[in-house]
Amino acid sequence: MSAALIPRNALAWLLSAQVVVLLPHLTRLPWWVAVLWLGCAAWRVQIQRMRWGYPGRILRTAGLLLTGVAVFFSQGTLIGLDATVMLLLLLFMLKLLEMRNPRDALVVIYLGFFILATAFLFDQGIPLTLYQCVGAVVLVAALIGLQQSPARNDPWRALRSAAAMLLQALPLMLLMFLFFPRLAPLWTINLPSTESRTGLSDTMGPADIANLAQSPELAFRASFEGDIPPPSRLYWRALTLSRFDGRVWSQDRLLERRQPLAVERSGATLDYQVIAQPTGRNWLYSLPGSVSDSPELRALRDDTLRAKRPLSSTFGYTATAFERVQRQRDGLTEDERQRLLQLPEDSDPRSRAWAEELRQRHASDAELVNALLRHFNQQPFHYTLRPPTLGRHSNDEFLFDTRRGFCEHYAGAMTFVLRAAGIPARVVTGYQGGELNPRGGYLLVHQFDAHAWIEAWLPGQGWQSFDPTFQVAPSRIERGLEEAMREEGSFLADAPLAGSRYRDIGWVNNLRLTWDDINYQWQLRVLNFQSEEQLALFKRWLGTADWRRIGVLVLSLVGLVMVVQALIWLRPRRLSGSPAQLAWQQLDQRLCKLGLGVRAGEGPRDWQQRLRQALPQQRAAIDGFFDRFVEQSYAQRQPGEAQAQLKPALQTLLRSLPRRRPPAPSQALD
Amino acid sequence: MKDALSAAQDAIDKVLLGKSQSIKLALACILAKGHLLIEDLPGMGKTTLSQALARVLGMSYQRIQFTSDLLPGDILGTSVFDRNSAQFVFHPGPIFAELILADEINRATPKSQSALLEAMEEGQVTVDGATRQLPDPFFVIATQNPVSQSGTFALPESQLDRFLMRLSLGYPSEAAEKNLLMGAERRTRLDAVEPLLGHEQLRALQAQVPQVTASEALIDYILRLVNHTRNSDSCAWGLSPRASLGLLAAARAWAMLEQRHYVIPEDVQAVLPAVVSHRLRATNDPTGHGGDSLARWLLNEVSPV
Repeated sequence: MSAALIPRNALAWLLSAQVVVLLPHLTRLPWWVAVLWLGCAAWRVQIQRMRWGYPGRILRTAGLLLTGVAVFFSQGTLIGLDATVMLLLLLFMLKLLEMRNPRDALVVIYLGFFILATAFLFDQGIPLTLYQCVGAVVLVAALIGLQQSPARNDPWRALRSAAAMLLQALPLMLLMFLFFPRLAPLWTINLPSTESRTGLSDTMGPADIANLAQSPELAFRASFEGDIPPPSRLYWRALTLSRFDGRVWSQDRLLERRQPLAVERSGATLDYQVIAQPTGRNWLYSLPGSVSDSPELRALRDDTLRAKRPLSSTFGYTATAFERVQRQRDGLTEDERQRLLQLPEDSDPRSRAWAEELRQRHASDAELVNALLRHFNQQPFHYTLRPPTLGRHSNDEFLFDTRRGFCEHYAGAMTFVLRAAGIPARVVTGYQGGELNPRGGYLLVHQFDAHAWIEAWLPGQGWQSFDPTFQVAPSRIERGLEEAMREEGSFLADAPLAGSRYRDIGWVNNLRLTWDDINYQWQLRVLNFQSEEQLALFKRWLGTADWRRIGVLVLSLVGLVMVVQALIWLRPRRLSGSPAQLAWQQLDQRLCKLGLGVRAGEGPRDWQQRLRQALPQQRAAIDGFFDRFVEQSYAQRQPGEAQAQLKPALQTLLRSLPRRRPPAPSQALD
Repeated sequence: MKDALSAAQDAIDKVLLGKSQSIKLALACILAKGHLLIEDLPGMGKTTLSQALARVLGMSYQRIQFTSDLLPGDILGTSVFDRNSAQFVFHPGPIFAELILADEINRATPKSQSALLEAMEEGQVTVDGATRQLPDPFFVIATQNPVSQSGTFALPESQLDRFLMRLSLGYPSEAAEKNLLMGAERRTRLDAVEPLLGHEQLRALQAQVPQVTASEALIDYILRLVNHTRNSDSCAWGLSPRASLGLLAAARAWAMLEQRHYVIPEDVQAVLPAVVSHRLRATNDPTGHGGDSLARWLLNEVSPV
């Protein structure tokens, strides 16, 4: 076996397959990886051309060690997903240099399939999936090329066969996708780090959300059972921020314990489904007072939902909202009240003084809140994406000097004043509104829909949401950020290529929404197709979700297909060809029943001879047919008039044949 | 005239016992104007066959023993200075005989081999700038020994292709060998062979071969055979158009020997192993000796009708 070489065709396909398989990874890897591949490939080509030799043992060992070191320096570790995938890729390249015989090439190709799969750990979108199909075709072509003879020089044949084979495998793939049990993983791996992704952060300082509002990236998609509620109801809560250090609002872990929150729910229900984009964090988006029975998430005491694992890929869940919710009407615990009134000692003296003043003027908490909202509405506050920078006492400066700010300024300042006036309050961050995709009937919520508002606890009412931004710029709530920033012209000013900027141009917008719809369906129906959905599908199609019955059904389906296939194979062959060939095939079919059908590669005269011996009584008829057959087929350049006599001769022969094969004449044994 | 052919066949049969199939193939090869390569162990009757053929056909016979120091001039001839006429006079080499036995052709250097093979292909030789016609009929029987390959120069595929057929005589059957041992000495049997076919007759027969009818159905069969070798993964490479032409010519000659004026698939099947086995190589066979089994495989794979 060691003498066998790798065919040139196979090497060409193998190298192409490596390029195709490596490309999706190259964007994440340092530039020298591509250079290393070029080096390895060039060396392997030189080996194939018999110009260079294989690297020696020392060189290979050094290469292996160097690879490990390089991965360590590039990723900072040798374990973890990024580093191991990188190590795998590098070894995949280096393996080229010790690929001596077809068996080694097989190893490289199988590794290629594995690497094909690893790309899905980083991205599961439609473009990558389609691209990986190409990768699979090329890998199979390399496998085929490996089986071709070294002298055959038709690379496209391998590719055509590969494509045909994978197309034939498509039904099987669909069957497996639908029916293969979704087993829970035996172990989990830390999926790729997503620190650099844009999204909400768990703290909120001045201008944080204004920065986020510059991003056109998608945050999540939401669809509703029934009509989509008006924008004023679409407050997607993600986080509550209850700690303030004078500048930055952050979470208070103790207020987010897993402890049931007393919620009174009533009125019409609203079921919705959210498919969140990966954030690397575990907070989810929900409407106030929602309940969800998805097993992968849990509800916290501050009425937010959390996934059990950080979102490393898209994550779908369903939840139900209610028309009227009243949260924690019974009252706060003393500890909670303390924490919800917490303010830093020495910040914003003017705001505190103003809060005292408001407190004295308004006896009830509700009145005070309303007065504050009226203040924002009536005073010349300005809603802007380009707020001026604020100094040490940011709330003071904002409330009394600049009066220009984005939603976080209003939410932060209002919470501060409420707390200073003795009303428990917190900042809520999340998203507000969303863009309707009329094709799919779902909402697209982008990063620029990020929003901050407040919740205050009022005696007898529990937690109530208030949005100071609505008092300043009602169009932000009702028609979205773009409308609110129309005058200022600052909507996505830094992202000239973002599709969302061109909503005014009809066909561009159409294209964008259609593409998004396709992506949404992909995520909803393909990526999100887990065991729950599978069982639901079985229930709908088969009326059962019992695995045994499903197994029996699938097996009988497969059996049915095999029976049909067998019937097709066993069906009498359809006759085709010239009249002489037809007669030949007809005779063959008839004689097969006597066990005297034509043998592989048997010519007419040889067959005739055999028949004459086996059927001595029919010799005349046999000779009559075969003589005419030979005369007609071979004695003239073109088929002549003997053709007309062939049919009667065949009929005579067929009629004369016995039903059963006569016992072999004793002398005819040869 | 065709009776003369079967008479010739019988006459050689009497010298080389029990090898009628090989003799018939050799005759078909001459009729199709091809050349013959015999690959067999020493002492199997290669020389006897060629001598008997030469005698029966009344051809002049020359044997060239190929050795590693054989030079092209030893085959083609050389010009020698004649002092009397003060001119170079060409002394023709053995190649100018009508039937040549090139014995152990793989022992000579490629240069000498190619001198012979070029002559076979062109039907003429060029020495010292003068082109000289070879006699007509001109027939080469080359032999090589399949064992003890050390110090030999194996014929490359391109040169093997120049031979219409490759035969292997093989051991005689027990009955034939008994006859051989009990009968007269080979030499005397050979001397007893009389010329049965004149040059004119042979040329006429050779001219008749292309007239044998090959119907469209038969040509289709040959095409199926050839295409099967080209498309199958079992063959390292397919048969060349020269091979398909050779196959048709040999099948026609065979039909003629069978006293038939048209070719039937059995004729093709009879000559196919001899015509294609040295032109085929199995994919998984680097030595190139698997041609015979490949030819049998080919016959079984392709339907004659």
